[in-house]
This record gives sequence, C-alpha cells and structure tokens, in this order.
Amino acid sequence: MSWLFPIYLAGAAAIIAPILLHLRRRPPQDRVEFSTLMFLDASTPVPVSKRRLENWLLLLLRCLALILLALMFARPFLQSESATSSSADQATLILLDRSASMRRDDLSKRGLAEVERLFKAAKITDRIALAVFDRELTPVWSFEEDRNTPANRSAALQSRLAMLAPTWSGTQLDRALIAAVPSFDASTAKLKKRIHLITDLQEGTHLDALRTIAWPAELTLHVHRLDPVTNDNFAVALAARDEEGNADALIRIRLSNTRDSALRDFTLAWDKAPQTDSITAQIPPGASRILNAPPNSTNRATTLTLTGDKYDFDNRLFIAPPQPRAVRIHFLGDEATRDEAAAPLYYLARALQPTATLAPVLTAGKAMPAQKPDVLVISGATPSAGMHAALRDFVSAGGFLVEVASSSADAALLQTLTGIPGITVKDGDANDDYRMLADVKTEHPLLKPFGDPKLRDFTKLRFWKHRQIEVKDAGNKLETLASFDNGHPAILSARIGKGTLIVLASGWQPSDSQLALSTKFVPLLYGWLAAAGFSHDPAATLLVGEDLPLDAASACIITEPGGKTHSLEAGESFTTTGIGLYKVQSASHTQIFAVNLPPDEGRVLPLAPQKLAEYGIKLSSGADSGAAGESTDERLTATDTEQRQQSWWYILLILLAVLLLETWFAGRTRQNTLAAVWELSCLLAHRLSTALASTEMCWLQENHGRKCVNDLANR
Amino acid sequence: MSTATSFLDPAALMRIKSLELRAKVVVEGLWKGMHRSPYHGFSVEFSEYRAYVQGDDPRYIDWKVLARSDRTYIKKFEDETNLRCQLVIDHSKSMGFGSLGYTKADYAATLAATLASFLMKQGDAAGLTTFAEGIEEHLPPRNRPGHLRRIIAELERPAKAAGTSLALSVGQLADLLRKRGMICLITDLLAPVEHLEKQLALLSAMGHDLVLFHLMDRAEIDFTFEKSAHFRDAETGAERFIDPQLVRENYLKRLQAHRDTIQVAADRHNVEYHFCPTDQPLEEVLFNFLSARQRKKASKSAAARVAG
Repeated sequence: MSWLFPIYLAGAAAIIAPILLHLRRRPPQDRVEFSTLMFLDASTPVPVSKRRLENWLLLLLRCLALILLALMFARPFLQSESATSSSADQATLILLDRSASMRRDDLSKRGLAEVERLFKAAKITDRIALAVFDRELTPVWSFEEDRNTPANRSAALQSRLAMLAPTWSGTQLDRALIAAVPSFDASTAKLKKRIHLITDLQEGTHLDALRTIAWPAELTLHVHRLDPVTNDNFAVALAARDEEGNADALIRIRLSNTRDSALRDFTLAWDKAPQTDSITAQIPPGASRILNAPPNSTNRATTLTLTGDKYDFDNRLFIAPPQPRAVRIHFLGDEATRDEAAAPLYYLARALQPTATLAPVLTAGKAMPAQKPDVLVISGATPSAGMHAALRDFVSAGGFLVEVASSSADAALLQTLTGIPGITVKDGDANDDYRMLADVKTEHPLLKPFGDPKLRDFTKLRFWKHRQIEVKDAGNKLETLASFDNGHPAILSARIGKGTLIVLASGWQPSDSQLALSTKFVPLLYGWLAAAGFSHDPAATLLVGEDLPLDAASACIITEPGGKTHSLEAGESFTTTGIGLYKVQSASHTQIFAVNLPPDEGRVLPLAPQKLAEYGIKLSSGADSGAAGESTDERLTATDTEQRQQSWWYILLILLAVLLLETWFAGRTRQNTLAAVWELSCLLAHRLSTALASTEMCWLQENHGRKCVNDLANR
Repeated sequence: MSTATSFLDPAALMRIKSLELRAKVVVEGLWKGMHRSPYHGFSVEFSEYRAYVQGDDPRYIDWKVLARSDRTYIKKFEDETNLRCQLVIDHSKSMGFGSLGYTKADYAATLAATLASFLMKQGDAAGLTTFAEGIEEHLPPRNRPGHLRRIIAELERPAKAAGTSLALSVGQLADLLRKRGMICLITDLLAPVEHLEKQLALLSAMGHDLVLFHLMDRAEIDFTFEKSAHFRDAETGAERFIDPQLVRENYLKRLQAHRDTIQVAADRHNVEYHFCPTDQPLEEVLFNFLSARQRKKASKSAAARVAG
C-alpha cells in the first residue's frame, strides 16, 4: 500500500479530538423540578474529565470516520502494479519533426543527435521505434524491426538517419500523433509506453485534430523542444486576391513579424530584377500586413524574396508567370467581314480579347483550317452539305461547335450533327416587335457565368429576329438551355461524341438581336470556353504537400524545381514535396505551378509543451534527465496508478456508511438503548457459550461411547 | 402485603377525573368491607344519659325515663357526641411534585375527599382548611347536605401559593378552631419541624385530636434519580447542581432523621402520625387510620376505667 499524499495521514491525529471530547464531562444541561432541596447537599463540583470513556462504540465510529477521511485524502494505491511496470522494459516511439521550420540553425542536427542519444540509452530489452513527421507520419524504424534485430539497431539507424533531412512541408503534429498511437503493436502491450517528441513545437503546428481522439491512459508523451538561437522571423505568404479590385496584375502578399521580435526593417524584391523593383519598409513586432508586391517590370521574375531576418526558409514566395493558354477559334465564314459592323465576326473578334489565362486566336475562313481548331463558330452562312460530315467528325472528336441557325437550310446540318431526323428550322414570327429570353437554365454548366443571381437579368436583351427550331423525337439528346418568351427554343445544346454542340436560334449581330451589344455576350462566350476546358480561372497557388491539378484525361511530364522529371500516365496524381515552380507538360499545353511553403510554417514562436496537455495528452516532464526528472516521472506514474485504482472512492463509501452508522448510534444512545444492545450481545454470547458447552458434551459422550465400543471389540 | 392486592391501585384511582367519584369509590369499598370487619368506627359512640342539672335545656329531658323512674335525665344530643373533623390540606408548591403520574396534591385531595365522604356518611361533621404561606380557605365542620360538595369543590381548586409556612398556618388555625375536635393535617411536612412542633403542642393543648398524614412521593423517599442535573426547589425556585449518586446516601440519612424527628414530636404531643407514600392505596391509609382510632379509643377507655 502506498500513498499519493502521505502528508494527509497526519490528519488521522485528529482522532484525539473526539477522544478528548468523550473524556470531557459536559456539565449536564438537564433541569429537574424537585419538591425541596432541604435534604440535598451543596453542589459538588463538576469534574472536567471522566475516569472512563463512555459511549465507546460511538467514539470508535467517530475515530474511524476521521481515520477514513485522512486515508481518503492520502489517496492510497497498491504499489505492486506500478512497481512492476516501472521496473519493466519500455516501448519508446521517437517522433522527429522534419518540417520546414526545422531548417533553422542546427535544429535538424540537434534533433538527430537527440534521436541517437535516446537510441543509445535504450536497453536491449526495450523496444524503440523512430518515425519522422511533417504533414504526415513516416516510419523510419518500427517496433517490428526492433523486435527482430534489436542488436544492430544502432548500425541500421545510422544509415537511415543519414537520409533524413528537413522537408518543405508544414507541421501537422495532430495527424502525426494520431497515427503514432496505433503503432504500439501487440508486442509492446506489456511494456511501459511512451512517445518522445523531438520538435521545435512552433506556433504554426496543427493540433486541432487531437480533440477528436481520446489519448490512451497508459501512453505518456515526452516533449524535447528544440529552441533556435532566436525566434525573430519575418514570414511572407500569398494573400487572398482582392475580389473587388479587378487588378490581375497586382499580387497581394501577407507579411508578418514574430511577437517580441527585434527585427523591423525588411526588403522585398523580385529575384533577378532591377534594384528599383523592391520595397524597403518596416513592420513592427507581432504585426501582420497585407501589401502589394513590388512592380514586376520585366514580368519574368517568379520569385519574391524577403530579406532582413536570419532564417530564410520562409522568405521566398514563388509566383507562376502569366501563361495564357492559347485557344484556337475558327469562324466558318468570310474573313473580309471582320471589320464590318453588321457581321457576326466583327463582334466575335472584339469579344474574344486575350486575358491573363486565355489567349484566344480567332481565325476566319470558309473552309476548315488545316490545323484542327479548338472551337468552331458558324454564323450567317450555312456550310455546304459536303462539310456536314467533317463538322460532325470535328464535334465527335471533342470539338466545340457553335452554330447559329440562320435559315431553314440549317436543318440538314443539325440533322447530320445530332442524328435527329425530326429537326426543322424555319423563320420565326416577324410580326411582333421583339422577343426576349425566358426560362434560362442558369444552373447548366454552359451558362455558369449567370449562376450569380445578380447577373440573371435578361430583360434588356431583345431579339428582333429568330428562327423557329422544332425538334421531334429528340429523346434526351438535345437540351434547351434557354427559350424565347413565345416558347420556342433560343439556345440548344447537345453532347455529340466527345464534343459539344451549341445551337443558337438567333444571331448576336444587331440585325438579329442585341446580344452582342449586351453585357451578357462576353460572359456567355467565356463560359462556353470554360466549359470546353479552357478555364478562365487563374491557377490557384499551391502549397507544399498538395496535389498538382492535372488533367486526368492525358499523360504529362512534370519537371520539379530541381530539374527532376516525372512521367505520369493519365489519371495519376502528383504530390508536391518542395517549394518552387513545377512545370507540367501535357500533350495540349504546358503549365507552370508555383508551390509555396504553408503560411503556418512561418509562425515559429515556440509553444509551451503544456499546450498539448490541453488536448488531453498525458505529458511527462520534458527534461527526463536527472534525479528530479525521475522523481517527477515516478510521481506521475503513481498518480496514474492511483487514478486507475480509485481507492479513495471506496474509502468515501465506507466513510459515508460509518457516518450513517454513527448518526444512528448517536440517536439510539440518547434513548439509552446501547445498554439493550449490550444485553443482547451478552445474551447471544451466553447462548453461544451454552451451545458450545453442549457441543463439547456431545463430543465427549461420543468419544466415550466409541472408546467403550473399542474396548469391547478388543476383548 | 396480601391486602395490597385487594386495594385499588392509586394510579388507577387517580385516573378517575371526578374527585367526588374517587372518594366514593374508596369509601364504598371500605364501607362494605366494614361490616365484616371486627372493628367498629369511632363514631359508634354509646349515647348516655346524665343527670339533669339546673340550667340544662328542659327540652332535652328524657320524659319517658322521668315517667318510669321519676328521675330527670338529660339525653345526650347526637351533635354533641358526633365528631367534628377539620381537614387541613397543604396547598404549597412542593405538593405539586409527583413521579407516579399524579402529584402529592392529587393524592392529598383524594385522601381528604375520602375522609370527608367517609365521616359525613357516618354522620360526622367535616370541615376543610387549605393553607400554604398562610390559611387560604376555611370551611367550618358541618354535616349538611351539600357540604361535602362544597368541600370537594374547594379541594378541586388548584394550588396557587408558592411557599409553605406550616407553623404560621397551624398557628392561624388554632385561632379559627374554637371547638374541640379532630384535626387531620395532610401535608408533605417539607419544613423545619421545630416551629411546627410548637404549634402542634398548642393545638394538642387546646384539646384537639390531631392526626398527621405525612405524604411523600416514592422519588422523594428513595431518591431514585440517576442522572446529574440542576435540581430546582419547587417552592423557593433555588437551583443546585446535584449528582444523585453522590448525594443519595446523605439525603436518605437526612430524610430519615427528619422523619424520626417528626415521629418523636408526634409522640410527644400525642399526635397520631401516619406516614403515607403516595403509592400506598387509599383504602389502606383509611383502614390504618380507622384501626389507629379504634386502638386509641380502646386505650383511652381503658385508661379511663383505670382512673375511675
């Protein structure tokens, strides 16, 4: 039996109080009316103490209650289990941080040295394992390997440690710890389990997921925090794009300084750029500022570098250069009409302006170009019947065809393209002044730009002329995206083979409608281009550890910032591991992705190890060397054992029972029934002794009889 | 005691609320038994003649005797020959003590009512005097219809005085009772005997026939208390802390001395002394009283014969 707080046992000395109280004679408070005092002596002095204890049973109960109270506060537990476990072998898992922040100073080297020290300190009967973590946990030396070859663990470790280096990932300690808990397998079940965490425990470490698990009671965590020379640090990260300000060229960055930092002055400049394209300013300690990047006059620089602090692991920001994707659009019509204000080509050429991500190249001609275009637009002139098959092949092979029905002759083309014989085209009713759009399916991918309710106002869009397209037995091949207010389809679409066909019942040129002059025209066109796979969205900035957004349909070659290339088959994914620019070459085009350090990694102020305790993790002292550490360790073990056994709870129950009994007895004593209890016990004792005596008599008689029988038999 | 079983338990008797009924129960029981008793009551006086002397009321001359024997005799009147008994009851606070469920005052009232009832039943006159610090109420002895009821009504009145001044009260009584008769003093006698003795001597000298009923509760006689407590004097209100186990012996000794003194004083002044614990059946008290009267009368007449 051991005690967690033996000092409380001194409280048991309080039993002296009830003993003294029982010895003390309380002057009787009773008053008796008597006829006369003439025969009674003068008052005899009340003695302060009695010569013998009265109500000894009550006293016993009271003393017992006090002793139990003292015992309860002393928190007893059985040492045996704890003793065996403390003398037993240990199963130790070392978690080594290799996130980008470990690149500071010699943290990485110190971490490795700590690992080596722990390995050397482990006994041959101990089980020891090593895993490194950044975004995720990577086992280096498992318990399984350790159990199989415990002797050469040091040699094996040396070779594996040599391969370990800090990565560019963020620190997700929560995921690492959650993954580390199951790594204690069945072979370590009877060992004392602990995790040695070697990390810089920076502020940017992710811990939230720890709330989702219940930390095993038998597992303790030792934190070995590695502190660099200084925590002063600037960090730079890409800020969210300003949605309101439509300035594509401006890059907004977030710059922050650590709390209590001595640094203030910083310089932000593009690599390989003139000195004039830099910003030199001040940022106070603990502040975070969003500022526009310095002008990139050459437009070729891709790396924004921050200088002014000691650690440069988080000082570079990679920004992919503008890389508009070329989209070849062929207008099947007369090239000469490009500058005629009444011609559809005129408006198309002006609407398709190059943007940061798209570079549309519009060609025009009455014949199909030699190089297959991405998008084909037919408006005004109906292609000859000989071209119908070629057009169908174009669409089936994945082309994007926009066809404006201009006359009843277009019906044949549509029939060929869609394979629906029941399509007829005729001129719409011209009696009315104009038609408007009704029933626009804005949820359709081809009309995605109008998904925003603010942009759904089509009332200013008027159609002077339109063709009435009637479709019979279409099944679900042809879909109506928008209709005129007389119910006739205005925009139709169909998926043909791999490609897409869009049919408009009215042209956009002013002779047909106001579409080209309205605000809807350009979004409509770019929406179609986006649907055709030419995304208008700028490429999102990636962080280390994220997958590159690859086109699942085609194979590609990826060139890492270091120059290493990877060939990927279609459908494979690629996870970024370093910062820099990744070049992705696919059959159709080449893309460059900028991959940056996770912004949280730049928050390098160290956390207190106790922070982990807030997540329910059982911590032991970080400094586990020296007698003080050991004693604290033992203390923690004792606490664990005591908490597991919870003996005080049982003592409390007994204490309550004793107190109830005491209350009952105190009540009974007043009624003078203690004497009755005594008499009863005397009676019982008497009965018992009588019974014993009679049993003895029987036994004697039996023995005597047996003796007589024996004698007779002997004779 | 074999007779004790045949008597009414005082506790049972005291449960009868009406004092009159209580007295009746006792008297009836005894009256019936008396016919089998060898004793005759003191009131069975032999009425006698005496020679007429000048000045006697001629109305009382027995004309028949005069006619037969030519001698004038005076017939002795019954009222002269009958007993005049004055019941004197102590109404002090100390009489309010009782450990048996009823108090000494209850017992005294019942005893007095019984005596009055008995006396009046056989034609004697009974009166009542209550006293505490002095005489409280005084009813002269009479034997008229309704007088018993007055006595009982008086007895039923609760005591109000605090202390006892036995000597003073007895002194006052001596002034009130001019005619000779019997005085039954019913008290717990919790007062110094010295002063009382003087008054008793006076009453005795006045020719009164004194009977002293000394009532005591069983708790007073044996001092049966166990626990230490503050004992409060019922009369003076004084408090004293007493451990009964320590003082019992001394108490009993003193009480015995007190009783001895009373006995001696009673003997000296020819007072008939009855010690009555309140758990003693009333019939027994009455019976003892009658027996004592009978013996006294017998001894008196014997003494008279010896003297004559």
